[in-house]
Amino acid sequence: MFTKLMTTAVVGAATAMLSFGAVAAGYPEKPITVVIPFGPGGSHDLNARVFTSVMPAHVGQPMVVQLTPGASGQKGAAAVAKAKADGYTLLFSSNYIDQLMQHVGKAPYNSMEDFVTVARINYAPIAVIVPGDSPYNSWADLKKDVKARPGKVSISHSGNWGALFVPAAQLMLLNDMKMNMIPFQGGGPALQALLGGIVDVSLGFPSTIGPLILSGEIKVLATAGKKPIYKDVPSFADLGLEGDVGMMHRMVMAPKGIPADRLATLRAAFKALQGDKTFTRLLKRMGENAEYMDGPEYEKLRPGQNKFYGELVKSLTK
Amino acid sequence: MLEQIIEGLFLTLRVDTFAFMAIGLFGGMLVGALPGFTTLMAMAILLPISFFLDPVVGIPFLLGVYKGGIFGGSIPAILVSMPGTGAAVATTADGYQLTKKGKSRKALDMALFSSVFGDTASDIFTLLMIVPIAYLVLQFGPPEIFAILTMSVVIVAVTAGKNPLKGLIMLAFGLWISFIGSDPIGGMERFTFGLFELRGGIPLLPLLIGLFALPEIVKIVGRTNVGEASVATILGERLTLAEFKRCLRTICRSTVIGTCIGIIPGLGQMVAAVMGYTAAKNASPVKENFGKGELEGVAAAEAANNAVNGPTMVPLLTLGIPGDNVTAILLGAFVAQGLRPGPTLFSEQGPVVFGILIAMVFANLMFLVIGYLSIPAFARIITIRSNLLVPLVTMFAVAGAYVYRSNPNDIIVLAIFGVIGIIASAAKFEVMPLVMGFILGVPLERAFGQSLSLANGEILQFAIFERPAMVAILVATPFLAWMLRKKMYAD
Repeated sequence: MFTKLMTTAVVGAATAMLSFGAVAAGYPEKPITVVIPFGPGGSHDLNARVFTSVMPAHVGQPMVVQLTPGASGQKGAAAVAKAKADGYTLLFSSNYIDQLMQHVGKAPYNSMEDFVTVARINYAPIAVIVPGDSPYNSWADLKKDVKARPGKVSISHSGNWGALFVPAAQLMLLNDMKMNMIPFQGGGPALQALLGGIVDVSLGFPSTIGPLILSGEIKVLATAGKKPIYKDVPSFADLGLEGDVGMMHRMVMAPKGIPADRLATLRAAFKALQGDKTFTRLLKRMGENAEYMDGPEYEKLRPGQNKFYGELVKSLTK
Repeated sequence: MLEQIIEGLFLTLRVDTFAFMAIGLFGGMLVGALPGFTTLMAMAILLPISFFLDPVVGIPFLLGVYKGGIFGGSIPAILVSMPGTGAAVATTADGYQLTKKGKSRKALDMALFSSVFGDTASDIFTLLMIVPIAYLVLQFGPPEIFAILTMSVVIVAVTAGKNPLKGLIMLAFGLWISFIGSDPIGGMERFTFGLFELRGGIPLLPLLIGLFALPEIVKIVGRTNVGEASVATILGERLTLAEFKRCLRTICRSTVIGTCIGIIPGLGQMVAAVMGYTAAKNASPVKENFGKGELEGVAAAEAANNAVNGPTMVPLLTLGIPGDNVTAILLGAFVAQGLRPGPTLFSEQGPVVFGILIAMVFANLMFLVIGYLSIPAFARIITIRSNLLVPLVTMFAVAGAYVYRSNPNDIIVLAIFGVIGIIASAAKFEVMPLVMGFILGVPLERAFGQSLSLANGEILQFAIFERPAMVAILVATPFLAWMLRKKMYAD
């Protein structure tokens, strides 16, 4: 009874505040909430802390980060899908939450119909890594051994349908390989398992593995994308893996019903952000690229991702 | 190495370092004391401030928030039986009973002193043993973690309380609750009844607040003389040196336990606190006093959960690997400063690494002063009249459950576990085994599943030839359990 009263009171107060904001003169005239569908400390959180701390200079209002983890990112996405499409609630998402999760289980929203891309902030290309003393010295070595002993070579990842799991699954599907996938709770523990010799192979982002490559603790066998990232290490394109494979895109999305002028304001602000020296410097220090892509261009990628991920999930769950 | 330590010491001796650390400690304590606001959230929100500060200022600032927050969580645990953070669960058991006896200041002082002692000792140990610890951390894989968690569950089961059957029932119930949601290996939904909201599992903080705080509120309301009277009319005296000395053995034992648990990846403060508490109870000549307001109980829990802090920093500093969310945020602070934690940082900028560990030691000492001065103010909470305090605590319970994930459904979770807590208390079932089952269940199942996947179908071969440590721990478990049981119920 009491809790019900409390809920009503909270909801009532929130509605009252929202209705005040509805009389919009110039957008934005109050802080914008950015929902992150992950917990604190992950790469999305860190990237969001960077752009939200610089954004006020370009959009004229603070951007407030709200962490809403749960259900592999679907909880935060669902909250934004349900929010008022007034440009004051945005989602900082990834391509996996956006286009993959709906194939895994019934999602409480429809990505294509509920969200529109404001801007892609950057992307993280995956690297295939092995311990420094591993017998694998190249992608070909690894591939040969996996083919010879299907299901025996173990690979650690950051959790089911997560940022390391999907690229691993993509690699297995595209190369017709079968590895023993061991889930860990996040990228840190997955990397630790590799260094401790518990698994044979792992995946990692350049932003987290840099110092370990320098010290020789790990070797990189291949990196995602067209261009090689490390000297003498082939890119996925060099290995014949074309397309959007092994990349985690980080993009800001808005509920689809957002008024066109507000969407334009936001898109312009994110574009202006690219010229901000503090923003690019902070991203560079974190080892992240600033490969901005504007909203309309990213929109073109989404149907293809949807199709590929659908096949991927089918191949794994059959 | 000694030169690097000394150089690190000089790096941290700056006025602004100490000023920001003090702000962080005090702010962290306030946030930690508010139920539902976790230390982690405070760190995530304050992280951007550190982007624009010097590394030896910004990182100690965040460390201050972290340390202050952990202690802050024990304040509402002691005063109103509401654990502000998961780490304060075991503190609630005796802390609140002490408050009811009018000894809240003693309990808070003991929590502060044992926290600072446990933390400082583990930080100094880490500082000196960083290289061996870094090696040791990597030796623990899922099989060993599985064995240690199994041992923990068995220890909780055999020491569960006066009535072993009741303890076992609650433990099994807790384990079952941990199964609700998606399974940690295959991602299959279990016991969710098709509800989307349950897919992520039952949230920890609403469960804790419901189990611990709501039954106490009902108890106060149920008293006949409710109204003008307060929970305890007197603030009580401060802790005496003699009382601290009496608990010193317990504090040292808990510090060792906490430090060891800190080395093992993925266990964390909650497990440390409960293990420290169980060990103290087992070693005490007055076991029956535990849970009824024993200062040693508070000391055991608080020393253990803070002693975890030192070793958890090691994988971050030596390998650049964040083992949990707190260290992941610290990693963000490091890299935004252009410092990349990892083997290169350690070999090239050793003084910075040691400087940060030394700053942790200074943060502890400074916190001793800040905490000691602010405890009297916090302790005043309980002198508020019951007819004001009860609505206030209820409000904080509901708001805390909600704000944890900004999810209105968590208020339902709070209410359900409040009812479970009230029934358990009426039927004289202890809720601690339930909480332990819930906390240990998920990592236990994950480690079990990981080990099975790693074994690849050849379980016996894998266990005996590749992970002998796991076998050793599992074999030792029944003997340890039998010993504990005998000692526990000797009389």
